Amino acid sequence: MSRGNLFLTSSLWLIIAFLVIYPLSILVLESFKIAGSTGWGIHNFLEFFQDTYYLKTFGNTLVLSSLVLLATTLFGIPLSYILARYRQRGKTFFTALILLPIVLPAYAGVFAFVIFLGKFGTLNLLLMDAGLIQKPINWIYGLHGLVFIQSLHLLPFIVLSLSAGFTTIDPSFEEAAEVEGASGFRRFITVTLPLCTPTYLAGAVIVFLWPFTDWLTPLILGQIDFLPSVAYINIAYHFTDMHRKYMGIVAVVISSLVCIMLFLLARWWVERKKYTGLSKGTTSEGRVIEPGATIKFLSYLYMLFLAALVLLIPIVLGLAAFSRRWVFEPFPTYWTLDNFRVILMETPLLLQNSFVFSGLALIFGIAFGLPAAYLIVRTRIRGKDALDFVITLMLAFPGMAVGVSYLLAFWKGIPLATHWIIMPLALFARRLPYFLRMAHSSYLQLDISLEEASEVSGAGKFRTFLNISLPLLIKGVLVGVVMFFIMAFQEISTAIFLYRGGWETLPIGIFLNWHRGMEFGIAAAMAFLMIVITFILLLIIARIGGGILKAAWGPGVR
Amino acid sequence: MAFIEIQNLFKRYRKVVAVNHIRLEVKQGEMLTLLGPSGCGKTTTLRCIAGLERPEEGDILIDGKSMILGGFVQPSKRGIGMVFQNYAVWPHMKVYNNIIYGLKLQKISKQKIRERAQQVLELVGLAGLEDRYPGQLSGGQQQRVALARALVRNPKVLLLDEPLSNLDAKLREKMRFEIKSLVKRMGITSVYVTHDQAEAMVISDRIVVMNSGNIVQIGTPLAIYEAPANRFVADFIGTMNFISGEIVDMPRDSDTVYVRTEFCEKMRCRTNVIADTTLGAKVNASIRPEDVEAFTEAPHAGENLFKGVIAHKAYLGNFLYLFVTIGNSMIRVQIPHHIPQEEGEELYLFLNPEKCMILR
Ligand SMILES: Nc1ncnc2c1ncn2[C@@H]1O[C@H](COP(=O)(O)OP(=O)(O)O)[C@@H](O)[C@H]1O
Ligand SMILES: [Mg+2]
Repeated sequence: MSRGNLFLTSSLWLIIAFLVIYPLSILVLESFKIAGSTGWGIHNFLEFFQDTYYLKTFGNTLVLSSLVLLATTLFGIPLSYILARYRQRGKTFFTALILLPIVLPAYAGVFAFVIFLGKFGTLNLLLMDAGLIQKPINWIYGLHGLVFIQSLHLLPFIVLSLSAGFTTIDPSFEEAAEVEGASGFRRFITVTLPLCTPTYLAGAVIVFLWPFTDWLTPLILGQIDFLPSVAYINIAYHFTDMHRKYMGIVAVVISSLVCIMLFLLARWWVERKKYTGLSKGTTSEGRVIEPGATIKFLSYLYMLFLAALVLLIPIVLGLAAFSRRWVFEPFPTYWTLDNFRVILMETPLLLQNSFVFSGLALIFGIAFGLPAAYLIVRTRIRGKDALDFVITLMLAFPGMAVGVSYLLAFWKGIPLATHWIIMPLALFARRLPYFLRMAHSSYLQLDISLEEASEVSGAGKFRTFLNISLPLLIKGVLVGVVMFFIMAFQEISTAIFLYRGGWETLPIGIFLNWHRGMEFGIAAAMAFLMIVITFILLLIIARIGGGILKAAWGPGVR
Repeated sequence: MAFIEIQNLFKRYRKVVAVNHIRLEVKQGEMLTLLGPSGCGKTTTLRCIAGLERPEEGDILIDGKSMILGGFVQPSKRGIGMVFQNYAVWPHMKVYNNIIYGLKLQKISKQKIRERAQQVLELVGLAGLEDRYPGQLSGGQQQRVALARALVRNPKVLLLDEPLSNLDAKLREKMRFEIKSLVKRMGITSVYVTHDQAEAMVISDRIVVMNSGNIVQIGTPLAIYEAPANRFVADFIGTMNFISGEIVDMPRDSDTVYVRTEFCEKMRCRTNVIADTTLGAKVNASIRPEDVEAFTEAPHAGENLFKGVIAHKAYLGNFLYLFVTIGNSMIRVQIPHHIPQEEGEELYLFLNPEKCMILR
């Protein structure tokens, strides 16, 4: 164990301790404080679970999670099967479209569907104009709307994980079943699907946890009786009401616990059940089937339907962004660039903040992530697995938990939250795994003997890293960098608790414009701008050669 | 009586022709091996028999019934057992469930299934392991599970695709004999794919040698070794010295030809039926290393006796291996006894005319 490595680990651990462990422990400690006294105890938790209202929100959230998982699975199985197995033209195009929501911020979708499917939204107006309905139909305000919008946002995770299963399981497993006499559907149920469960689970856990972290979608749809929304309202609006504040904090802690426990459970199970290790490699390209004409037509129809739903998001937001006074009309009639003028002339600060904060977070991310990846992959230093573990865990942590804990931890003792640097620091802590995992997996693919050859030739570890490793890693690292930036740029759940006047980012601007009821058009225009910026960044990724899918999902399905 | 008949089978993957219009018959109860270098179309042929690939042309008859031209018969309806190269033992099912998977799809009583499974488990030596998951088995044991699964339904035809290639050398050698005696005992017609010539020699009743999608030769192991159809077969199965030359004399009414080679005006060889011989034809005078005789001192002069120089000499335990140069040719020699000469010294080689064949 070299002294350099030791120094490196200690520094990284210090950063983790300061930016992750310290604030999160403060959050947990705070949840045990008893309001109006200096006492400690599980009083808050007891109260939370005895209060029928909070119990109900917990139940609601579980129900929502289950429904979303069910919906994404039901729609995801045929879709992933089509994408993974059928030989069809335009598959890449459809795949890219259907997977788009992964890189779009969730709130963009909500706004788009509020405009399109709202009470006097485009669809209702069109149907009423056509005389098909008399009164507007409630498409989205309610549990059903929530399930629909969240499912559309989360479908890609299921599709990616399932189709990874469908393409990577050894074809001979299914052929063996075929030879043994099992045809079609039976083979699918008894062999194909069970073999896909580990990869499916990796995606399913992300889907299931989402309703425990998404506070904004229910809020916009007027459905607040869900754990994260209640937490947000209690903490953001009732900070002075001690009881409600503590209930909010407890809600955040409970959400985080659920997320972390399920995440770890899924990981443990996937590790245990990995089937891919058993296949000994195969010559054929996997099972790609030439579908019959009817099946082909139906599958196109199915893909088209889902792709159209996804495409609605940028289209509707675009329409809203370039128009004004779009109410009670199915389509806008007054076209203008006013919205963008407002954004760019009057509040350029938002854009500037977004770029500065995300950029700084990115620099922190690289400065932390590269050494961390090196330590985790290339050394046997003690505590590296724990480091890896803590960072990966951040993937499961609700953004809200990070925001609230920073607010609690960096206010009095260490008054960091009074300085704008808290914003990039929080973004860095929250999005860290995105960069690290990318750097990590590129590192794993880098043959160690290339580095050893350099060291044998007399180069030191650091020089070897600069001259040999980095140039070979650069592609994966760059993809990680851009992905990190996209995710930081869209971040709202953490930032919403930490921003103060003058620190607003673009997502916060979107939220405020909706929330204050000021200008829906401006919110839409901002969301549209966000999508455009995301698109440009995605194109950069594609140029680098990472492939959009890989960038969106991270390295391999784990 | 042909049990499997392959008629004019043609299969290609886009531009690559994998199987090029082959014809082949497998007799009832016969163990036939497809042998050839990697990529020659063995697996494709086997998969066509199984129904896992649809050939572009040709037909396959199993037990007299057309599998392709008379309406494509799905693999699940062909009543075959198959052992895959990577075993394809389902990792999410216990050994027992792997084995009875196909049985359960037939209308057989639970009791019968259990009996049958137990029989097969004992047959392949897996008794006691039925409750394990494949992940808890060694490669050899997984291989046995695959075999048991293929045999449990008493298939009419057994197909095996390089079933031993993932095992270590010792186990591979043992399993060759086990598989052979097992299949022979059950009397199943089987097609076995391998690229390992020793394996093919051990296991087969007849060997089909393939090269780039074509059948080069069909015959018993003995016939293929003793009378290879051409240079490719001779080289692929065993080792052969090739001395290129030209036919200069063909005495009538005898199986003898004379070849002019680089170091000999008139080397005597035997013709085999397969090689069509005309005066002046370019051929290879060919002899296996173990058929070359070596002499320390010149015996009484005669045909096909040449003086050479030892280039390399290697002692391999049960025999001596020599590389001997005659003129510009290098002759490999395998002899079961010691000789006093060292590298760089001379010795005499007798290329026995009875063993010296001509090949193209
Ligand atoms: N699924 C496939 N797609 C394209 N080419 C294939 C496929 N399977 C086999 N081939 C080609 O067909 C030829 C024969 O392959 P195969 O039958 O697997 O050979 P063998 O089993 O003798 O090694 C090879 O050139 C191989 O590359
Ligand atoms: Mg093969």
